Amino acid sequence: MENVKTTFDPIALSILWSRLISIVDEAGTTLQRTSFSTVTRESNDFAVVLMDKKGRSIAQSSVSVPSFLGVLPILTKALLADYFPLETWKEGDVVMTNDPWLCAGHKPDIGIVSPIFYQKQLIGFIGTIAHSPDMGGVLWGAGSRDLYEEGLMVPPTKLISEGKPNKTLFNILEVNVRAAHQTIGDIKAQIAANDQGIKSLHKLIEENQLTDLQDLADAVIEASEKAMREALLAAPDGSYQYSYDTDGDGLGNGCHFEITINIKGDEIHADYTGTSGAHPLSINAVLNYTFAYTAYPIKCTFSPDVPNNDGSFYPIKVTAPKGCLVNAQKPSPLGARNITGNMLHSVVFGALAKAVPEQVQADCGSACWCIVLNGEHKGKEFVEYFFLNGGYGARPNMDGEHVLSFPTNVANVPIEVLETDIAVLVTEKSLLPDSGGKGQYRGGLGQRFSFKNVGEQSLNISLLTEKTKTPAKGILLGGDGEMGSLEIIPHREFPPKGLDKLHPGEELVLTLPGGGGYGDPAKREKTFIQEDKILGYIS
Amino acid sequence: MVVSALERKNKIIFMKLGIDIGGTFTDFVIFENNSSQLYFAKTLTTYPDPTKGIFNGIRELEEKFGFVVRDMDDIVHGTTLVTNAVIERKGAKTAFITTKGFEDVLEIGREMRYDIYDIFLTMPKPLVPRNLRIGVAERVDTHGNVITPLEKNDLQAITDSLKENDIEAVGICLLNSFANINHEKALGNYLSENVPDIYYSLSSEIMPEIREYERSSATAMNAYVQPITDKYLKDFEFQLKAFGFKGNINIMISSGKLTTIDGARKSPIHLLESGPAGGAMAGVFYGRQLQEENLLCFDMGGTTAKACVIYEGKPEITNHFEAARVKRFKKGSGLPVRIPVIDLIEIGAGGGSIARVNTIGLLTVGPDSASSTPGPACYNLGGENPTVTDADLVLGYLNADYFLGGEMTLSVAAARQAIKNKLADPLGISIEEAAMGIHKIVNENMANAARVHVLEKGMDPRHFNMIGFGGAGPVHSFGVAKLLNVKRLIIPVGAGVTSALGFLVSPVASEKIRSHIAELNQLDWSEINDFLEDMEKSGYEFLFKSGIPAKDGSVQRIADMRYSGQGHEITIELPHGKLNEDSIAEIKRRFVKEYEFRYNRSIEGIPLEMVTWRVVVQGPIPKMAVKQFSNTSSDADAYKGIRKVYFEETGYLECLVYDRYALKPNEKFNGPAIIEETESTTVIGINSIIHMDTQKNIIIDLNT
Repeated sequence: MENVKTTFDPIALSILWSRLISIVDEAGTTLQRTSFSTVTRESNDFAVVLMDKKGRSIAQSSVSVPSFLGVLPILTKALLADYFPLETWKEGDVVMTNDPWLCAGHKPDIGIVSPIFYQKQLIGFIGTIAHSPDMGGVLWGAGSRDLYEEGLMVPPTKLISEGKPNKTLFNILEVNVRAAHQTIGDIKAQIAANDQGIKSLHKLIEENQLTDLQDLADAVIEASEKAMREALLAAPDGSYQYSYDTDGDGLGNGCHFEITINIKGDEIHADYTGTSGAHPLSINAVLNYTFAYTAYPIKCTFSPDVPNNDGSFYPIKVTAPKGCLVNAQKPSPLGARNITGNMLHSVVFGALAKAVPEQVQADCGSACWCIVLNGEHKGKEFVEYFFLNGGYGARPNMDGEHVLSFPTNVANVPIEVLETDIAVLVTEKSLLPDSGGKGQYRGGLGQRFSFKNVGEQSLNISLLTEKTKTPAKGILLGGDGEMGSLEIIPHREFPPKGLDKLHPGEELVLTLPGGGGYGDPAKREKTFIQEDKILGYIS
Repeated sequence: MVVSALERKNKIIFMKLGIDIGGTFTDFVIFENNSSQLYFAKTLTTYPDPTKGIFNGIRELEEKFGFVVRDMDDIVHGTTLVTNAVIERKGAKTAFITTKGFEDVLEIGREMRYDIYDIFLTMPKPLVPRNLRIGVAERVDTHGNVITPLEKNDLQAITDSLKENDIEAVGICLLNSFANINHEKALGNYLSENVPDIYYSLSSEIMPEIREYERSSATAMNAYVQPITDKYLKDFEFQLKAFGFKGNINIMISSGKLTTIDGARKSPIHLLESGPAGGAMAGVFYGRQLQEENLLCFDMGGTTAKACVIYEGKPEITNHFEAARVKRFKKGSGLPVRIPVIDLIEIGAGGGSIARVNTIGLLTVGPDSASSTPGPACYNLGGENPTVTDADLVLGYLNADYFLGGEMTLSVAAARQAIKNKLADPLGISIEEAAMGIHKIVNENMANAARVHVLEKGMDPRHFNMIGFGGAGPVHSFGVAKLLNVKRLIIPVGAGVTSALGFLVSPVASEKIRSHIAELNQLDWSEINDFLEDMEKSGYEFLFKSGIPAKDGSVQRIADMRYSGQGHEITIELPHGKLNEDSIAEIKRRFVKEYEFRYNRSIEGIPLEMVTWRVVVQGPIPKMAVKQFSNTSSDADAYKGIRKVYFEETGYLECLVYDRYALKPNEKFNGPAIIEETESTTVIGINSIIHMDTQKNIIIDLNT
């Protein structure tokens, strides 16, 4: 073991590094507790990132979901290169954008970046990105036909200049989005989070008699980079391929993924050549987003314990042909790109199982299913989001957990809360026996969830399901998980992805997929099988 | 001292005994009002029957001070029994009854991972396995309307299966039972008529709040620990009576209040955090004594450190609590229990926390601990990993010959060797530098966690003074206080038995809870007034049963509210008296004030929503005008000598060492200094002024 060569000793660096993470976590707490968006608050669908003056990330909030990995530094670097050069930033500025190609791949994700000044010098940036309650356009989901139906797009713009709010931009936002108070409330929460971070950072600088952030940034970035490189170096060099199919629209127009992962020395390169083209549904992912969801399983595999910063990602390269499903170009619709992003871990783990089988898991019953209901309740319009997860993939040494979110991390909405908010009655929520893929270690079970419209009006529903035509794959001889399904009672055609209505009295029955198994089912221990039977996990 | 029958009869002497069973030690505190003195004792906790330890302690109290149990007027007790049963899965064989179709809610939980990068994580197993969860046909909607009546024909089969499976306890949680308790009640009645030996817990009594998973989890846990708690408390009461005790017995609960034995037997989950709650209440007591309204309490023991905020003389309460985390200190990895608990953060930092060099060559400390076996390297019991205690010893903070008052001798050589092998050599630094590194990093970890905790409440740690206790608390408080820019640090007398002391200064109270979700502008005020009155009435009945007359009781009515659409509720106190349309403005004003305090902003144009209503009826806060603490008076010279102590700013210094018991009130001197007592050592760095107050608390002013 070689120590990081820096101007900081291993004790000082350990202390300062945990302070940096504590600072972004404090800012994250401020954001989360004051936001309206269900996804931000219940599902940690936000990130706070502290960056140096080159836009390189130094520390990222520790609970953030993977979709934002690496996004804020890419955004900030782009802001510096193409929009606001370094010398144009003033103390008290705040820049906003939701450009999907600069941010996180769809318009509801808003990026807010503030410069950090210390004694009149610009020393770095702090940025937050969070899922806003609404950005206008059609009801969120896979239903939009192009980018323009997905609502308002704000190119990088100063939302605040030297402390002075840009009233025009606030007005434009206010008239374009539903529930404007909430969306603007959340943007203000993001600004407050940045301010909190700046305040705490000033304290850290003063207490430690630093003059700027540069040496510290260099030290932590170098350390994270080194950890990732060492882990990659230990993995066997080679070229690992995997191909994988997903539902697409769930009606016959599926998606195909091809990945080639090259590990060479201390670098890793994932390439998606061969992956299907842009999909007519709004499930296309921009490259930023593809990078985030490709880097995430790589990070989990090789360097799960080392805090994230720019350095973690230097050894990782992700490429995809322009215009394909995972490198979408204008005007492909992007709204439900999470469905595609949530699949990439399956592809990456599938390939890496050939290189480092002891460090990966089998495929999960993802993506997370999303249900958005819109209508009137007690005379008021509502938009209610809720989420359901399938089974977790089996691991090299243990079964998959039942019904657990991966790779995103989204909690369900309690049944009793849902029934209080809108006129639905949930009729079942249970584990689905026999849905976990067989294996030496079994995949986690999926679930059945059904609910009925018990109101007097039809509800608009936007549904995102997955793995109703394609299973969660087992690895290393492990069996596939059971596929999911959806059914409406009384029976009629219902789109697995997209917009429809749920009429009064109709019941929607959703069956979520189980996770894939790991290893040869013949090697499963008898006692495990017996216990599964007693508990009714298998019949 | 022996109390004469006459004195007793005339109530000249009034005595209270606090007993706290902890993981390692059982602590005792006696307060006697005539001399206004406190007396302490400590014995080892006995396993498997901790009552044995209690009676060892009671004997010790008699031998040392002449106190006998039958002379006590009040006994207040707290125990880790419930917590341990859940952690070690040693509760009763428990079944769970819920609405048909929702049997797996208890296992599915919230579907969220507690660690983003660990694909090898495991989720906590439910306390009731899938084959013991039973569905009954019934359904109530969110307004309490019955949609499907309870299917009585199924009940016979259920009781049969309970008997067949040798079930000892049953948790019952039906969907939306917070809005209509009838089906749960009917089930409970059926069980008590047909299987009277089986304990049952109803969610509508245990935690009548919206959110089915959290309510199920609390109900299952209550059932799971009820049989053992019931047996334990019966034995406890019986044995005390056998000693001739005729007074009141109260039990400490997580919210810093006291309940009766009956209350504890009915809702044992409220005992989960009784020890830490006692510590926080001791903080409240010291604060009152020292006239410090806002205090940060910092308690550091062998494996964990805890911090909590006392604001305006009251501990902060939260309703979010998790028991038995599968990954230590990781939020989300435990079983949720929505009960009112004193809001403490727990940090994996204690004397036993292990230091190591991590994969990227940095020194890190904890969260894992060497616990008591093999323990820190300096215990010489085979531990090879350097710990915080080893560092503190090498730095000269601890006295190798006076650990636990000399009960144990520590090996400096073993500590140095462990630090050299595992840290100093690999990092290419000196042993002292590595030891100082451990001390600083563990302080930093605690300060970071405390800072986030305080900020989460919208407060600024610099506005607080700090009070430090626990075995390792006085050793590290000074460093943590410096990091938090705290101006004054207090190390109270009795720092080693704080929880038991806290028991004696906590009020008896009952808290009734009800979920009723509606916008503030659309409430049916007569309905609200009706249920608030009902809740208040049953609170007073509880006090009455505890022997507290209504005139001594006070009522606090609290609502958890939020901006409609937000997920986080904040708690405000409701105005007194009957509520009506005219109360809206005042409730709104209180909400906005609190919201602005927490978040520095408020939001226009969004309606307010009421979620949960709470009525606390509590007895008076026991007054203890403590004049003196026993084992603190001594005529000996307080100055014990000089020892080489390592401070960050100076390296090794010749530092004065004092005997805490011999220090006189109002003595004043400058830091650095070491003050030794049996249970701990207070370490005071440079640039500080130390002064002993009249009650012999150590007051340290930091000149930063």
